[in-house]
Amino acid sequence: MRATRSVGLLTTTFVLLRKDLLIEWRTRARLNALIFFAMATLLLFSFALGPDTKLLERNAGGYLWLAILFASVLSLGESFRVETENACLDGVRLAPANARAIFLSKAVGNALLLLALGVVLVPVMVALYGVKIVTGFGDLAGILVLGCLALSAPGTVYAAISSNARARDVLLPLLLFPLVIPALLSAAKGTTLVLQGDPMHQLGSWQGLLLGFNLIYWGLGFVLFPRVIED
Amino acid sequence: MDTLTSLMVLAQVGSGRLQGGWGYVGACYGISVAAFVLYSVSLWARRPRAASDSKE
Amino acid sequence: MNKFVKWGLPALTLGLLGWGWWLGLVWAPPDREMGDVQRIMYVHVPLQWMAMMAMFINFVAAVTYLLRQSWKTDALAEAAAEVGLLFGTLGMITGSIWGRPTWGVYWSWDPRLTSEAILLVAYTGYLVLRRFVEDPDKRAVWSAVVAIIGAVNLPIVWFSVRWWRSLHQTQSSPKTVDPQMVLPLRVAAFGMLGLMIVFLIHRYRIALSERNAEVALPEALPSDDPAQRASQSSKVA
Repeated sequence: MRATRSVGLLTTTFVLLRKDLLIEWRTRARLNALIFFAMATLLLFSFALGPDTKLLERNAGGYLWLAILFASVLSLGESFRVETENACLDGVRLAPANARAIFLSKAVGNALLLLALGVVLVPVMVALYGVKIVTGFGDLAGILVLGCLALSAPGTVYAAISSNARARDVLLPLLLFPLVIPALLSAAKGTTLVLQGDPMHQLGSWQGLLLGFNLIYWGLGFVLFPRVIED
Repeated sequence: MDTLTSLMVLAQVGSGRLQGGWGYVGACYGISVAAFVLYSVSLWARRPRAASDSKE
Repeated sequence: MNKFVKWGLPALTLGLLGWGWWLGLVWAPPDREMGDVQRIMYVHVPLQWMAMMAMFINFVAAVTYLLRQSWKTDALAEAAAEVGLLFGTLGMITGSIWGRPTWGVYWSWDPRLTSEAILLVAYTGYLVLRRFVEDPDKRAVWSAVVAIIGAVNLPIVWFSVRWWRSLHQTQSSPKTVDPQMVLPLRVAAFGMLGLMIVFLIHRYRIALSERNAEVALPEALPSDDPAQRASQSSKVA
């Protein structure tokens, strides 16, 4: 009984994820908009701070993650706006799809989108700020994956909440930003270490912090999400 | 003479106590009391009217 | 609301708070290092303790609400968040005023200060969310979820900020407490506790009556004859 239920959950998640990715792939509007938004953000950081190349180089990791964070707010809000138009979320739930499968599919979908954005942004950052990847691509990929997962799990819960509230565009960042500070901090620190060398072997502990953040919020989201979208 | 003044300076540093600062203390207590009074007023202004009427 | 809660508790609170602050401002000796500035402790530390306690009450009320739905726990969560935000904001203001003469700056990116600032922003978001959701059922569930997630976040924030700072410097604060400082601190803390309870009770009653008004709204819609309408609805109920 238990085994069939868990298989059902994973299958539903997979089907829903495929549906979301298919919608995304048909138009590619969201990813394109996100990429241009994030690139503009990266460009604006260098304008706002002046042409001090040393400063830009030193803070490149922080700017990359701020750009991803700002883009994630747009992406998360959009991922539920698609569903609330035409009351699609109710349709999916009547299908009947497990609410936890909806959470997993939405969160994984958002994480994949952010990851794609990150993969596009890294070369832009390298070119724009003149940084070098010192410790290797593996470390950078690890930070990128963990960071995007960390943004998307709590972000999905909060996007589901704020998409139904008034003034959702203000509400989502207000709720999400204080929450993801530990993730932002460790991802930015980790990226800076990757870009500037890690003589004191601190990268591992920042990755550990990100991993812990992920475990806690994927778990909490999995437990609490059904209550969020219940009627 | 020089050694004496430097010793006196050192003695003052050694005591290491912050002098005065009552302004900061007054500001802290004043802000807190003012905020409490304002919050009490706001609670009073928002008091449930219907409920108190029905009870008293 | 009985007489003690209405008059006795506020009077007791004011008495304790006044006594504690008198002890702290007049009776206790100045600190060996910080001098008279240290007297800020008797307002700052109780404020911080009560802010933490109010946030904890908010967390417990949120968990209780999700387990067993009741307007009472929802109202308590709302009251505790608002009172906690008040105490926490005051605690942060007094803390940074205290920091000016002792550290030389108002704001020091100290892990405690930073975590508390993040906490206060998170609870502001919580209260804004409550304002922006009309449906009382949804508002209660969603804000409970946000409260739980926010409370879980607090230790993570604290650790991450401490790590982040520890790479630069470590903040040391002398913890030599004179016995003559313990008494005023205790009395002031109990006074502050009383004040928090008074605020909580009144804010809770406001929240509860608002909930009741919201839930009763469909029956209170204007009709041709209010009296008849009311009697009908009461018969149906």
